[in-house]
Amino acid sequence: MLQQTVTIKNKLGLHARAAAKLVNTANRFESSVVLNNKGKGADAKSIMGIMMLAASQGTELKLFVEGNDESEAFASVISLIDNRFGEEE
Amino acid sequence: MLVLHGAGVGKGIAIGKAFVLSGGTVTVPEYSIPESGQKQEVERFRNALDEARGQLEDIAANIPKDAPTESASFIEAYLLMLKDPLIADQPIDTIRTRKVNAEWALQIHSAGLIKAFDAMEDEYLRSKRTDVEHIVNRIQSNLLNIRHETLGHITSHMEGKVVIAHDLSPADAVLLKNHSVAAFAIDLGGPISHTAILARSLNIPAVVGLHGATRYIAHKETVVVDGKRGVLMAGTDKLTLEAFEERRRYVEAKQLELQALVHKPAVTKDGVAVTLQANIELPEDIGSAAKVNPQGVGLYRTEYLFMNRPQPPRETEQYTAYCRVAKRMKNPVTIRTLDLGADKQVDGGRREGPTNPALGLRAVRLCLKEPALFTPQLRAIFRASAQGPVKMMIPMVSNLDELSQVMDLIEEVKSELRREGKQFNENLPIGGMIEVPAAAVCADLFASRLDFLSIGTNDLIQYTLAIDRVDDEVNYLYDPLHPSILRLVKTTIDAGKHAKIPVTMCGEMAGDPRFTKLLLGFGLRIFSMDPAALLEVKKKILDTNVGIAEKFAAKALDCKGSQELRDLVTALDQT
Repeated sequence: MLQQTVTIKNKLGLHARAAAKLVNTANRFESSVVLNNKGKGADAKSIMGIMMLAASQGTELKLFVEGNDESEAFASVISLIDNRFGEEE
Repeated sequence: MLVLHGAGVGKGIAIGKAFVLSGGTVTVPEYSIPESGQKQEVERFRNALDEARGQLEDIAANIPKDAPTESASFIEAYLLMLKDPLIADQPIDTIRTRKVNAEWALQIHSAGLIKAFDAMEDEYLRSKRTDVEHIVNRIQSNLLNIRHETLGHITSHMEGKVVIAHDLSPADAVLLKNHSVAAFAIDLGGPISHTAILARSLNIPAVVGLHGATRYIAHKETVVVDGKRGVLMAGTDKLTLEAFEERRRYVEAKQLELQALVHKPAVTKDGVAVTLQANIELPEDIGSAAKVNPQGVGLYRTEYLFMNRPQPPRETEQYTAYCRVAKRMKNPVTIRTLDLGADKQVDGGRREGPTNPALGLRAVRLCLKEPALFTPQLRAIFRASAQGPVKMMIPMVSNLDELSQVMDLIEEVKSELRREGKQFNENLPIGGMIEVPAAAVCADLFASRLDFLSIGTNDLIQYTLAIDRVDDEVNYLYDPLHPSILRLVKTTIDAGKHAKIPVTMCGEMAGDPRFTKLLLGFGLRIFSMDPAALLEVKKKILDTNVGIAEKFAAKALDCKGSQELRDLVTALDQT
């Protein structure tokens, strides 16, 4: 199992479109991908769950990835978040 | 005549026949389903989901190719929501366990989701409850067999019409624009909803949050949409309609006329050159500001970097933000240090509300009391000065001792940066904001210690006249043309002239074309304002004869009251 704290960098936070990108990324992998915001957890393959994390810019999330392809999944999710979901801000 | 008020989100005026889309709020029925009927009920729910998927895919296929790429990604998000267990699976469990109909099961779950969104702290994320509402409404309509006149099929009849709807999804808004709809007006939505943002970027007049537009407006009735004022009007008589038509043409013509001034230098009729700068709040504002071609940024309000977050930004984050602005501009960027306090508080409510925040611990006072907040900002600004033409401005200075403390802190920061071998501009200009009457009265003292002065009229007026601008009971007394204000402005400009340092004005008065000629007459040569006002002020400047303005301005200082002053200023405006 891999885990790390990640910070949401894009200005708008985890809104619907950003969440959609996250879900699509997580869905490419077999591993389970979970994000945790101050004790509230969400399956990164559920767009509603991700949106309900209410993660605005600057929020620190704990990322847990577990499964056969965990290292690729882990790297992909982190790079998506670090690249602000491809958003400008 | 019927007048409905909402939030204007797309500027401009449109007049046209209403095209009222039926649909809208659905009344969700509740009834029980016996165990024997559950299988069929679950099936009905799944069909509604499938149908919704098909509808969304249809819309996606119909989005014009030149539409902003975001419009397609909304649909992608909606499609994922349709598959999400919280929407697709949990209502099915509820149909079984609580023995209720599909509509009611969905209603129970969506109400829970919407409640969770409403509890979110972040305003933007909270407003995303509309995404859930859109998707749930679509499923409910399918369950109830409410046939929305789906936009895809009827858009060809909409050309030149004003579309009135209970709600529009962002994707619908894009379709409307591409079918030359004149404007749209909807019952739901706020100024920061996706639909509103798209209306702005598509440049289509729109009003949202009208509450009841679909109920009160009849199909094919002639309506007026004023996107600037956020108004929808119906049943207007012929004269009113003509007046609006005239205004619509006027607004259009004026925009074109102002657009032609973008690259024209701001020089008066008698050859006096004036500098026009932009006020910005966020680094990304620089993009829209650049469209009016300002000669630098006269006020970069840094406090927005510090708001809506639990922790203040670190030095690196600030440095990156300041560099982004500095590198974009050939002309100076005036970074104002933190002006928090009063109506702008850091999130997390670090301090209990003082009884009178405007007179309390704010701006430079707060910064001096909390060096841990101030020093990283000073360091970031100095470091950014190596990357572009940066100036620094201290807000709310009121006495020289305070200023000395700031200067001492700045010297410390400079020697620290030198020790670390970090590059910065040793001669970075440091200015003060003249917004406390005490500083304006003693402007000469401040001018002798600073590299420039900048008059902040909003607070100067509020403090001088002892009026809280947000207090409805007294704000009628808020008056830029009070003789005291003009005297303080004049004193400050003269003090700068005497000390041979520049004086700028960055308050709202600088962006109000009614005052442009008067301020030129007082000797003001640098104006900084909301970029939206810049071209109109430039137009005034091109129309000014400074020699004449000076004569009027001298007379203005002798006026005894605001009415006399207003008459004089109006007369000057006609020259």
